[in-house]
Amino acid sequence: MKDIARQSMSIKVESMDLLNGQIKMEAHASATYLAMASWCEQNGFFTSAKFFYKQAEEERGHMMKIFEFLIDTGGNPLSPEITGINHDYSSIVDVFESTLEHEVAVTKSIHNIVKKARELGDIATERFLDWFVLEQVEEENTIRDILDMIEVTGTEGVGLQMIDNQVGNWIE
Amino acid sequence: MPMNVVYQSTYYTLYQSVKERCFYVDFGQKLVRMSLCQLLSLRHKVLSISIEDHFDGDLNKHGFEVLMLCNKEHLLVLNTLEILDLKHMVEQGFVAMGLSEEREAVTV
Ligand SMILES: [Fe+2]
Ligand SMILES: [Fe+2]
Repeated sequence: MKDIARQSMSIKVESMDLLNGQIKMEAHASATYLAMASWCEQNGFFTSAKFFYKQAEEERGHMMKIFEFLIDTGGNPLSPEITGINHDYSSIVDVFESTLEHEVAVTKSIHNIVKKARELGDIATERFLDWFVLEQVEEENTIRDILDMIEVTGTEGVGLQMIDNQVGNWIE
Repeated sequence: MPMNVVYQSTYYTLYQSVKERCFYVDFGQKLVRMSLCQLLSLRHKVLSISIEDHFDGDLNKHGFEVLMLCNKEHLLVLNTLEILDLKHMVEQGFVAMGLSEEREAVTV
């Protein structure tokens, strides 16, 4: 029996399902960072707002990277439904702490897909995710550096404005 | 028309036609020609149906599902047993095609 299915699709459907889940997660991250940009604008942290606009764009880029991979492999990418975006933060420190939490959750999710792809013998998906694994190392590191800077600067007096200005160092 | 059976469930049969490089699903009421993309879309729709709702009179009063296929070209009305069987056919069909690992309850 000629294998039309395999000729039409080069990854496993289980990988496709997990990657569609990751599309959703990247879209959720993008929307969350946009909400953070809104909070920053409204609370006078204009440089941090710029940082989060850029983050929001990058997350959308991640989403599209996966979307295109599913197209290239003959899969069925799904446009994600996004709900439950938090707009409330108690401080700029809260914003960056939440960002790190979010990035750690994304890292775990990507590692999980790598492990599943490995179990399935889906080498294409596993290799595709290499870029994401390294990207997550960088993203986590950036946010940790910003949190360290916040710690050193302190939030007393003009500290908050100094913090906002220094976030500019992490906008390329 | 030469077609091989890929998988047969109680009510449905999935065929592949090598000559036409496509698939056919026999829904009993009709035979529908499908590309792999359309099969993937069928899989998504069918596996997304919450069968639990069928056992809750408030969530699904009539116990039927309306399924639109192939960009609204086909419309099927299926009852609870047919949906369960179609879920099974879709899952096992992808296993038989070598695109899925054999295991219970795929979640989409
Ligand atoms: Fe991302
Ligand atoms: Fe990220």
